[in-house]
Amino acid sequence: MSTLELFKALQTSSFGRFIGSLDHLVHAGIQLLHITGMLLLLSSIVLLSLRLLGLGLRQTPIAEIANATSRFIWVGLGLLAFSGFLMLAPSATNYYANDFFWDKLILLALALIVHVSLFRKITRSESTSAITARFSAVLSLALWFGVAFAGRFIGFF
Amino acid sequence: MSVIELAQQLYDSQLGTALRESVYAFPIVEGLHLIGLAFSVGLLLFVDLRLLGLFLRHIPVANIMNPLRPWLLGGFVLTLVTGILLFIAAASKIILLPVFLFKLGFIALAGINALWFEHKWGKTILTWGLQDVLPTGVKFAGIASLLLWSLVVITGRLIPYLSIE
Repeated sequence: MSTLELFKALQTSSFGRFIGSLDHLVHAGIQLLHITGMLLLLSSIVLLSLRLLGLGLRQTPIAEIANATSRFIWVGLGLLAFSGFLMLAPSATNYYANDFFWDKLILLALALIVHVSLFRKITRSESTSAITARFSAVLSLALWFGVAFAGRFIGFF
Repeated sequence: MSVIELAQQLYDSQLGTALRESVYAFPIVEGLHLIGLAFSVGLLLFVDLRLLGLFLRHIPVANIMNPLRPWLLGGFVLTLVTGILLFIAAASKIILLPVFLFKLGFIALAGINALWFEHKWGKTILTWGLQDVLPTGVKFAGIASLLLWSLVVITGRLIPYLSIE
Protein backbone atom coordinates (compact mmCIF):
# COMPACT_ATOMS: atom_id res chain seq x y z
CA MET A 1 0.00 0.00 0.00
CA SER A 2 1.41 3.39 -0.94
CA THR A 3 1.44 6.30 1.49
CA LEU A 4 -1.29 8.04 -0.47
CA GLU A 5 -3.50 4.96 -0.30
CA LEU A 6 -2.84 4.73 3.43
CA PHE A 7 -3.82 8.38 3.90
CA LYS A 8 -6.96 7.85 1.78
CA ALA A 9 -7.87 4.79 3.84
CA LEU A 10 -7.44 6.77 7.07
CA GLN A 11 -9.60 9.63 5.83
CA THR A 12 -12.42 7.38 4.60
CA SER A 13 -12.32 5.06 7.61
CA SER A 14 -15.21 5.31 10.06
CA PHE A 15 -12.74 6.84 12.54
CA GLY A 16 -11.65 9.54 10.10
CA ARG A 17 -15.24 10.32 9.15
CA PHE A 18 -16.32 10.37 12.80
CA ILE A 19 -13.63 12.91 13.78
CA GLY A 20 -14.50 14.97 10.72
CA SER A 21 -18.19 15.02 11.67
CA LEU A 22 -17.52 16.54 15.10
CA ASP A 23 -18.41 20.14 15.91
CA HIS A 24 -15.83 22.80 15.01
CA LEU A 25 -15.42 23.59 18.71
CA VAL A 26 -14.19 20.02 19.27
CA HIS A 27 -11.62 20.72 16.56
CA ALA A 28 -10.71 23.93 18.39
CA GLY A 29 -10.20 21.75 21.50
CA ILE A 30 -7.89 19.46 19.51
CA GLN A 31 -5.93 22.56 18.41
CA LEU A 32 -5.68 23.62 22.06
CA LEU A 33 -4.18 20.25 22.98
CA HIS A 34 -1.72 20.71 20.12
CA ILE A 35 -0.57 24.18 21.21
CA THR A 36 -0.36 23.03 24.85
CA GLY A 37 1.92 20.17 23.82
CA MET A 38 3.96 22.50 21.61
CA LEU A 39 4.43 25.05 24.42
CA LEU A 40 5.45 22.37 26.96
CA LEU A 41 7.99 20.99 24.50
CA LEU A 42 9.37 24.30 23.16
CA SER A 43 9.69 25.96 26.56
CA SER A 44 11.59 22.94 27.92
CA ILE A 45 13.97 23.03 24.95
CA VAL A 46 14.37 26.82 25.35
CA LEU A 47 15.15 26.43 29.06
CA LEU A 48 17.72 23.69 28.45
CA SER A 49 19.27 25.54 25.53
CA LEU A 50 19.64 28.79 27.49
CA ARG A 51 21.53 26.79 30.11
CA LEU A 52 23.72 25.05 27.53
CA LEU A 53 24.49 28.40 25.88
CA GLY A 54 25.50 29.83 29.26
CA LEU A 55 22.70 32.41 29.05
CA GLY A 56 20.63 31.39 32.04
CA LEU A 57 20.38 29.23 35.18
CA ARG A 58 24.15 28.98 35.40
CA GLN A 59 24.01 28.07 39.10
CA THR A 60 21.88 24.99 38.39
CA PRO A 61 23.51 21.77 37.13
CA ILE A 62 22.52 20.87 33.54
CA ALA A 63 21.62 17.30 34.49
CA GLU A 64 19.19 18.57 37.10
CA ILE A 65 17.38 20.81 34.58
CA ALA A 66 17.35 17.96 32.04
CA ASN A 67 15.85 15.66 34.64
CA ALA A 68 13.19 18.18 35.69
CA THR A 69 12.14 19.08 32.12
CA SER A 70 12.16 15.50 30.79
CA ARG A 71 8.54 14.74 31.75
CA PHE A 72 7.34 18.03 30.22
CA ILE A 73 9.06 17.13 26.95
CA TRP A 74 7.53 13.65 26.78
CA VAL A 75 4.06 14.76 27.91
CA GLY A 76 4.30 17.54 25.31
CA LEU A 77 5.29 15.12 22.56
CA GLY A 78 2.49 12.75 23.61
CA LEU A 79 -0.10 15.54 23.41
CA LEU A 80 1.31 16.65 20.04
CA ALA A 81 1.19 13.14 18.55
CA PHE A 82 -2.32 12.43 19.87
CA SER A 83 -3.87 15.75 18.78
CA GLY A 84 -1.84 15.74 15.56
CA PHE A 85 -3.27 12.36 14.58
CA LEU A 86 -6.80 13.62 15.29
CA MET A 87 -6.12 16.63 13.04
CA LEU A 88 -4.67 14.43 10.31
CA ALA A 89 -7.32 11.67 10.21
CA PRO A 90 -10.35 13.54 8.79
CA SER A 91 -8.39 15.38 6.08
CA ALA A 92 -5.35 13.17 5.49
CA THR A 93 -5.32 13.69 1.70
CA ASN A 94 -5.12 17.47 2.16
CA TYR A 95 -2.09 17.03 4.40
CA TYR A 96 -0.60 14.59 1.89
CA ALA A 97 -0.71 17.30 -0.78
CA ASN A 98 0.79 19.96 1.52
CA ASP A 99 4.59 20.43 1.19
CA PHE A 100 4.85 22.01 4.63
CA PHE A 101 3.36 18.90 6.24
CA TRP A 102 6.23 16.79 4.87
CA ASP A 103 8.78 19.48 5.78
CA LYS A 104 7.39 19.36 9.30
CA LEU A 105 7.67 15.56 9.49
CA ILE A 106 11.28 15.60 8.23
CA LEU A 107 12.24 18.34 10.71
CA LEU A 108 10.43 16.42 13.46
CA ALA A 109 12.35 13.23 12.66
CA LEU A 110 15.66 15.13 12.70
CA ALA A 111 14.76 16.95 15.92
CA LEU A 112 13.87 13.67 17.63
CA ILE A 113 17.07 11.97 16.46
CA VAL A 114 19.18 14.87 17.75
CA HIS A 115 17.20 14.92 20.98
CA VAL A 116 17.68 11.27 21.92
CA SER A 117 21.32 11.16 20.79
CA LEU A 118 23.48 14.30 20.97
CA PHE A 119 21.17 16.41 23.16
CA ARG A 120 20.58 13.63 25.67
CA LYS A 121 24.29 12.90 25.93
CA ILE A 122 25.21 16.56 26.43
CA THR A 123 22.54 17.25 29.04
CA ARG A 124 23.56 14.23 31.12
CA SER A 125 27.22 15.02 31.50
CA GLU A 126 28.84 18.03 33.12
CA SER A 127 32.17 17.55 31.42
CA THR A 128 31.12 18.46 27.88
CA SER A 129 33.09 21.16 26.13
CA ALA A 130 31.35 24.52 25.89
CA ILE A 131 31.48 24.44 22.09
CA THR A 132 29.74 21.07 21.83
CA ALA A 133 27.12 22.19 24.34
CA ARG A 134 26.46 25.40 22.39
CA PHE A 135 26.33 23.57 19.06
CA SER A 136 23.77 21.09 20.45
CA ALA A 137 21.63 23.90 21.85
CA VAL A 138 21.57 25.88 18.61
CA LEU A 139 20.91 22.77 16.51
CA SER A 140 18.10 21.60 18.77
CA LEU A 141 16.47 25.05 18.95
CA ALA A 142 16.68 25.49 15.17
CA LEU A 143 15.10 22.08 14.50
CA TRP A 144 12.26 22.43 17.03
CA PHE A 145 11.51 26.02 15.99
CA GLY A 146 11.52 24.73 12.42
CA VAL A 147 8.92 22.11 13.37
CA ALA A 148 6.76 24.81 14.97
CA PHE A 149 7.10 27.16 11.98
CA ALA A 150 6.36 24.45 9.40
CA GLY A 151 3.31 23.54 11.49
CA ARG A 152 2.02 27.10 11.40
CA PHE A 153 2.56 27.22 7.64
CA ILE A 154 0.50 24.05 6.92
CA GLY A 155 -2.80 25.85 7.45
CA PHE A 156 -2.04 28.59 4.94
CA PHE A 157 -1.07 26.54 1.88
CA MET B 1 -13.21 58.13 16.73
CA SER B 2 -14.66 54.94 18.19
CA VAL B 3 -12.61 51.80 18.79
CA ILE B 4 -14.45 50.07 15.95
CA GLU B 5 -13.64 52.90 13.53
CA LEU B 6 -10.01 52.76 14.61
CA ALA B 7 -9.98 49.00 13.99
CA GLN B 8 -11.44 49.56 10.52
CA GLN B 9 -8.72 52.14 9.77
CA LEU B 10 -6.00 49.72 10.90
CA TYR B 11 -7.58 46.98 8.77
CA ASP B 12 -7.65 49.25 5.71
CA SER B 13 -4.13 50.61 6.30
CA GLN B 14 -1.24 49.68 4.00
CA LEU B 15 0.27 47.49 6.71
CA GLY B 16 -3.00 45.67 7.35
CA THR B 17 -3.58 45.06 3.66
CA ALA B 18 0.02 43.95 3.08
CA LEU B 19 -0.18 41.44 5.95
CA ARG B 20 -3.41 39.97 4.57
CA GLU B 21 -2.33 39.80 0.97
CA SER B 22 1.22 38.53 1.33
CA VAL B 23 1.52 34.76 1.01
CA TYR B 24 4.23 34.44 3.64
CA ALA B 25 3.84 37.42 5.99
CA PHE B 26 0.90 36.12 7.98
CA PRO B 27 2.22 32.60 8.72
CA ILE B 28 5.69 34.03 9.53
CA VAL B 29 4.18 36.47 12.03
CA GLU B 30 2.08 33.64 13.50
CA GLY B 31 5.19 31.45 13.80
CA LEU B 32 7.02 34.25 15.62
CA HIS B 33 3.98 34.73 17.88
CA LEU B 34 4.28 31.06 18.84
CA ILE B 35 8.06 31.32 19.48
CA GLY B 36 7.38 34.42 21.59
CA LEU B 37 4.85 32.40 23.59
CA ALA B 38 7.40 29.64 24.21
CA PHE B 39 9.79 32.22 25.74
CA SER B 40 7.16 34.20 27.66
CA VAL B 41 4.33 31.98 28.86
CA GLY B 42 6.52 28.89 28.44
CA LEU B 43 9.40 30.03 30.65
CA LEU B 44 6.94 31.62 33.07
CA LEU B 45 5.35 28.17 33.47
CA PHE B 46 8.59 26.93 35.01
CA VAL B 47 8.83 29.97 37.32
CA ASP B 48 5.20 29.46 38.43
CA LEU B 49 5.76 25.74 39.03
CA ARG B 50 8.84 26.62 41.11
CA LEU B 51 6.69 28.97 43.20
CA LEU B 52 4.33 26.05 43.79
CA GLY B 53 7.22 23.75 44.73
CA LEU B 54 6.64 21.52 41.68
CA PHE B 55 9.81 22.27 39.68
CA LEU B 56 13.49 22.28 40.79
CA ARG B 57 12.34 22.78 44.39
CA HIS B 58 15.88 22.49 45.79
CA ILE B 59 17.08 25.46 43.74
CA PRO B 60 16.49 28.90 45.35
CA VAL B 61 13.66 30.80 43.63
CA ALA B 62 15.94 33.75 42.82
CA ASN B 63 18.35 31.46 40.91
CA ILE B 64 15.50 30.51 38.58
CA MET B 65 13.53 33.74 38.38
CA ASN B 66 16.33 36.28 37.97
CA PRO B 67 18.25 34.70 35.06
CA LEU B 68 15.01 33.94 33.19
CA ARG B 69 13.46 37.39 33.62
CA PRO B 70 15.13 39.10 30.61
CA TRP B 71 14.26 36.15 28.31
CA LEU B 72 10.74 36.07 29.59
CA LEU B 73 10.23 39.79 29.12
CA GLY B 74 11.88 39.62 25.68
CA GLY B 75 9.43 36.85 24.82
CA PHE B 76 6.52 39.02 25.93
CA VAL B 77 7.75 41.88 23.73
CA LEU B 78 7.98 39.53 20.70
CA THR B 79 4.51 38.11 21.44
CA LEU B 80 3.05 41.59 21.87
CA VAL B 81 4.57 43.05 18.68
CA THR B 82 3.53 40.04 16.55
CA GLY B 83 0.14 40.02 18.28
CA ILE B 84 -0.43 43.66 17.30
CA LEU B 85 0.48 42.80 13.68
CA LEU B 86 -1.94 39.84 13.68
CA PHE B 87 -4.62 42.14 15.10
CA ILE B 88 -4.01 44.83 12.46
CA ALA B 89 -4.39 42.25 9.67
CA ALA B 90 -7.92 41.38 10.83
CA ALA B 91 -8.72 44.28 13.18
CA SER B 92 -12.23 45.12 11.99
CA LYS B 93 -13.37 41.51 12.52
CA ILE B 94 -11.46 40.70 15.71
CA ILE B 95 -12.56 43.84 17.56
CA LEU B 96 -16.16 42.56 17.42
CA LEU B 97 -15.34 39.20 19.04
CA PRO B 98 -16.18 38.83 22.75
CA VAL B 99 -13.45 36.16 23.04
CA PHE B 100 -10.81 38.74 22.01
CA LEU B 101 -12.00 41.15 24.71
CA PHE B 102 -11.82 38.31 27.24
CA LYS B 103 -8.25 37.64 26.09
CA LEU B 104 -7.30 41.30 26.65
CA GLY B 105 -8.96 41.17 30.08
CA PHE B 106 -7.01 38.07 31.09
CA ILE B 107 -3.74 39.67 29.90
CA ALA B 108 -4.51 42.75 32.02
CA LEU B 109 -5.27 40.59 35.09
CA ALA B 110 -2.10 38.51 34.56
CA GLY B 111 -0.09 41.75 34.27
CA ILE B 112 -1.59 43.12 37.49
CA ASN B 113 -0.80 39.82 39.23
CA ALA B 114 2.85 40.02 38.06
CA LEU B 115 3.21 43.67 39.17
CA TRP B 116 1.65 42.90 42.54
CA PHE B 117 4.01 39.94 42.96
CA GLU B 118 7.08 42.04 42.15
CA HIS B 119 5.91 44.82 44.48
CA LYS B 120 4.96 42.59 47.42
CA TRP B 121 7.55 39.80 47.17
CA GLY B 122 10.24 40.89 44.72
CA LYS B 123 12.55 42.66 47.17
CA THR B 124 12.55 39.90 49.79
CA ILE B 125 13.04 36.98 47.39
CA LEU B 126 16.43 36.13 48.90
CA THR B 127 14.75 35.54 52.28
CA TRP B 128 11.58 33.59 51.45
CA GLY B 129 13.04 32.06 48.27
CA LEU B 130 15.26 29.73 50.30
CA GLN B 131 12.52 28.31 52.52
CA ASP B 132 11.26 24.78 52.07
CA VAL B 133 7.65 25.87 52.14
CA LEU B 134 6.97 29.14 50.32
CA PRO B 135 4.56 31.78 51.71
CA THR B 136 0.89 31.31 50.80
CA GLY B 137 0.79 34.67 49.00
CA VAL B 138 3.63 33.55 46.73
CA LYS B 139 1.86 30.29 45.91
CA PHE B 140 -1.34 32.19 45.21
CA ALA B 141 0.49 34.45 42.74
CA GLY B 142 1.93 31.34 41.03
CA ILE B 143 -1.48 29.68 40.66
CA ALA B 144 -3.09 32.92 39.47
CA SER B 145 -0.32 33.35 36.88
CA LEU B 146 -0.67 29.76 35.60
CA LEU B 147 -4.44 30.04 35.38
CA LEU B 148 -4.58 33.49 33.77
CA TRP B 149 -1.90 32.82 31.14
CA SER B 150 -3.56 29.50 30.28
CA LEU B 151 -6.81 31.39 29.73
CA VAL B 152 -4.94 33.91 27.55
CA VAL B 153 -3.60 31.09 25.34
CA ILE B 154 -7.00 29.35 25.22
CA THR B 155 -8.99 32.47 24.32
CA GLY B 156 -6.29 33.45 21.80
CA ARG B 157 -6.42 30.09 20.03
CA LEU B 158 -10.22 30.24 19.93
CA ILE B 159 -10.25 33.56 18.02
CA PRO B 160 -10.21 31.98 14.53
CA TYR B 161 -12.80 29.39 15.60
CA LEU B 162 -15.25 31.97 16.91
CA SER B 163 -14.75 34.43 14.05
CA ILE B 164 -17.73 35.57 12.04
CA GLU B 165 -17.09 34.92 8.37
